[in-house]
Amino acid sequence: MGTVHARSMDPVPMHGRDLGIHPEDLEVVEAQQETKKEVLENKDIVVQHVSIEGLGRTKEDYLGYEIADVFNAKNLIDVMTKSHEARMKLLRLGIFKEVEVLIDISEGDDALPNGLDVTFEVTEMKRVTGSYNTMVGNNEGSMVLGIKLPNIFGRGEKLTFQFSYGTKETSYGLSFFKPQPGYFERNFALNLYKVTGQFPWSSLKETDRGVSTELNFPLWMTAHTLKWEGVWRELSCLARSASFAVREESGHTLKSALSHSMAIDTRNSAILPRKGALLRINQELAGYTGGDASFLKEDFELQLNKPFLWGSVLSASLWGGMIFPVGGQPISIADRFYLGGPTSVRGFGMYCIGPQSEGDYLGGDAYWAGGLHLYTPLPFRTSRGGFADLFRTHFFLNAGNLCNLNYGEGPQAHLQKLAECIRWSYGAGIILRLGNIARLELNYCIPMGVQSGDRICDGVQFGAGIRFL
Amino acid sequence: MAAPMELYCWKGDYGLPSVDVDCLTVLAYAKFAGAPLKVHKITNPWRSPTGTLPALRTKEEGSLSQPSKIIIQLRKQKYNADYDLSAKEGADTLAFVSLLEEKLLPALIYTQWVDAKNYVDVTRRWYAENTSFPLNFLLPGRMHSRQMERLRLIRGDAVLEPEEQLEKELYQDALECMTLLSQRLGSHKFFFGDSPSSLDAYVFGHLVPLLKIKLPNAKLQQHLNSLENLTQFCSNILLLYFPSDSREAQSRKAPVHTDGGGDFNNEPHKRRNQILSVLFAVAAMLGYAVLSGIVTIQSSRSELGEPQREDRDEHDDEEEEE
Amino acid sequence: MSLAAEAFVSQIAAAEPWPENAILYQPLREDQILLSDCASSLAVQAYLRMLGLPVRVQCRANAEYMSPSGKVPFIHVGNQVVSELGPIVQFTRAKGHSLSDGLDDVQRAEMKAYMELVNNMLLTAELYIQWCDENTAAEITRPRYSSPYSWPLNHILAYQKQWEVRRKMSAIGWAGKTLEQVYEDVSQCCQALSQRLGTQPFFFNKQPTELDALVFGHLFTILTTRLTTDELSEKIKSYSNLLSFCRRIEQTYFESQDRDSQLGASDYSKGPSLM
Repeated sequence: MGTVHARSMDPVPMHGRDLGIHPEDLEVVEAQQETKKEVLENKDIVVQHVSIEGLGRTKEDYLGYEIADVFNAKNLIDVMTKSHEARMKLLRLGIFKEVEVLIDISEGDDALPNGLDVTFEVTEMKRVTGSYNTMVGNNEGSMVLGIKLPNIFGRGEKLTFQFSYGTKETSYGLSFFKPQPGYFERNFALNLYKVTGQFPWSSLKETDRGVSTELNFPLWMTAHTLKWEGVWRELSCLARSASFAVREESGHTLKSALSHSMAIDTRNSAILPRKGALLRINQELAGYTGGDASFLKEDFELQLNKPFLWGSVLSASLWGGMIFPVGGQPISIADRFYLGGPTSVRGFGMYCIGPQSEGDYLGGDAYWAGGLHLYTPLPFRTSRGGFADLFRTHFFLNAGNLCNLNYGEGPQAHLQKLAECIRWSYGAGIILRLGNIARLELNYCIPMGVQSGDRICDGVQFGAGIRFL
Repeated sequence: MAAPMELYCWKGDYGLPSVDVDCLTVLAYAKFAGAPLKVHKITNPWRSPTGTLPALRTKEEGSLSQPSKIIIQLRKQKYNADYDLSAKEGADTLAFVSLLEEKLLPALIYTQWVDAKNYVDVTRRWYAENTSFPLNFLLPGRMHSRQMERLRLIRGDAVLEPEEQLEKELYQDALECMTLLSQRLGSHKFFFGDSPSSLDAYVFGHLVPLLKIKLPNAKLQQHLNSLENLTQFCSNILLLYFPSDSREAQSRKAPVHTDGGGDFNNEPHKRRNQILSVLFAVAAMLGYAVLSGIVTIQSSRSELGEPQREDRDEHDDEEEEE
Repeated sequence: MSLAAEAFVSQIAAAEPWPENAILYQPLREDQILLSDCASSLAVQAYLRMLGLPVRVQCRANAEYMSPSGKVPFIHVGNQVVSELGPIVQFTRAKGHSLSDGLDDVQRAEMKAYMELVNNMLLTAELYIQWCDENTAAEITRPRYSSPYSWPLNHILAYQKQWEVRRKMSAIGWAGKTLEQVYEDVSQCCQALSQRLGTQPFFFNKQPTELDALVFGHLFTILTTRLTTDELSEKIKSYSNLLSFCRRIEQTYFESQDRDSQLGASDYSKGPSLM
């Protein structure tokens, strides 16, 4: 009898490569098979062997969990569904370039008449892959070198190294990732990095050298992350004309912080979702594990999406956060919250809301920001899909506030402080979606509720980023 | 009198006994004190006993490298140009030498090594031309980075960039220093009376390169030229103590830097090098193209008058694969 | 040294008179400040007192990083920040206060030269003894320098600074010197200063100048700081006119605190005394 290659099943969404469909093969099947095919579909079968071929350095026990479910298939449709799922699981481990599934009648001494063998033919990724890019940005060019070692010890561990050598700064990052065998969503990562950032809105330059370890695990519907981070921060003034308040923050500090983050994401896409909700809550406690910085920081992010009339989507989002010093240490400018800009409250300059001194924005102890958006597809589109689908028009209403708190007073006073002097803005614009990660916006904004000291961006504002209010 | 000591220093040019500040200082002091030195003028610092220039090799004490140490050594050997100085004048010497090193020397380093135009046009060219192969490729670059590092460390900055602000500060300090020296010198022949001392050697060593080595960016030079007593002082010493070098300079034609044609005169191979490098790049690209299959070289048998349809089909197939 | 171009400084500075709330920033007095920084800070304080300009001293752990040039002390006057004695002298001159206006050209040349002598020899010797002498560095300098920071940052910063200073020493040719030679240099420098001072009350007879402030700052700090050995202060004590010079300035300009006649007990400008 001929071999049967599993075909793609329409009800199950296919996000991968073809499973090697060869329509010609089906035609090669002899005519007798036609009748037998009907019988096979309804017939009970037993999966006798499930094997993986093409393994080099990957350890077999690591993959056992992913393919175990296939054994539970009861009939042929089931086998095909489950092996498709298993294929998806194998691909998401990130260690294989390609996975092909082969379902065959079992042969051999112990073959049952209704037994099937399922074989996964995999192509492992190369041991070392490298990449080399050059980037040109604000008055700076840099050369980025990346080296990736997927699956170094055979159980899905991944080591990546990235080095960026620029005209102004160099930075590097080394990261080690290990998933739990059989439970990919539970994983552990270790990072070592040095990054430099320039923040012209505060006239501040920051160099961070740090090490962090994190543990990710899902719990029921939520995804949790536990992280410890130790970072040596060096702050300095970006220009001679920096304000004295920023100058006072220059120097070296050491932050050693434990943080926890919980996220529930039921949206159908991270960028321009049509439906679903996102709730993310972070907390960070610094100081009890060493270091100079000592604080408790809380922030949350909430987003709700609902489809509306005629293909448009209504979206509401709310962000907020608060930071409390612990033990009397003042909070460094690098830990405070910032607000404003094309990715948060539109119509204001980048991080140009809130307390400032001589034109340098110092950030604040507490903030909140909310947005109401209506996303509509482009008018006059000729067809579904295609280029026009990447665009949306959107109408928005953003509001927010950032302020410093007087810690002696109670929570009522804090809330009151946040509720006075609200900045808000409204407007409309066009959004372009970039892949599944980022989006570009071009908006016409009208800022209102502007307080003295804020810098506004009246009129057209361009924004690019990953996370938008 | 001990056996004559040997002094290794940089070769001279532009009418100077040496092009290096420290070497000039030591040479001048030796002349002032009447020390009999066997002077080796070399262009390869690795050939000196200590690895740097100037270097004094003595029988008893080994080799010394810094001007202050060399001068102390000479004094020990009873070649002392400061013998007649009073205690106060000795103190003044120390003070003014410190002034030179703190205020004038950084600007000198800057103008010769950090200022881009000066470095490329004059300093690097001189060192490249006067050091032997293969050092002339390595040495100027190495000295350049060392001098930049030295300047950075002296100033205590984190990052040194040859920018206007830095230049302004350094030159300001240097101009002030020169003015102060001029005021202190007044109308005297030397700083302390009629015979030169170690201070005169230091001042001479630091100022005369500015005077004689013509640089494109010549702010320091201009100021020095305006201080007549200092220029007189330097020329005086040159004439009195280094007559042979200044005579050499006059008889030799000074190198004339003309714009435009100058480049070609000094680098006759420039055009040739340009053409060669373009040819090399084109050849590299062609080679890559052929090797990676973007372009295939076809041998066409049809030229030989044997039209074979099958062959032509094959060739068509090959072409399709590209 | 001077980070602001003179034109810039004088334009802005000349516009306003000296305010009441000028502040001088230096590292923490008790635990952190080092000999060289204390000397520089004291010199600036003495200078400002000689001019009669009020200034308050504030200690910050990150004073070195706050300073625009990376060196302490620095003053915050109005909205200007100026660091190190040289630029501060220029800054005050632009506001119309100066101590050296009465000097003629030759004297001014000598004054500047002697100030450079102190910077070149005394200050460098202080840096050498602090950072390049392993005993002092391990017992005093590194612990003090790193005291405001937590582990492991304290070690990193201390060693980084030490490495930087040692490189500077090699760049200026001091790396090959032994401690004895450095003490010898200090002695020479003091001899030169003593010679110049002679029997006069100040270096340029009746009126103090910035040179007096600078010399006082360094000598007084060395005399009142206990290091691993007393050799450095002994070198200075052997010149009696320098001792009386220091005492005179202390009594004239720092008299607002109570003092006893012995050096080393003055509260205001007490240097770090340890071990």
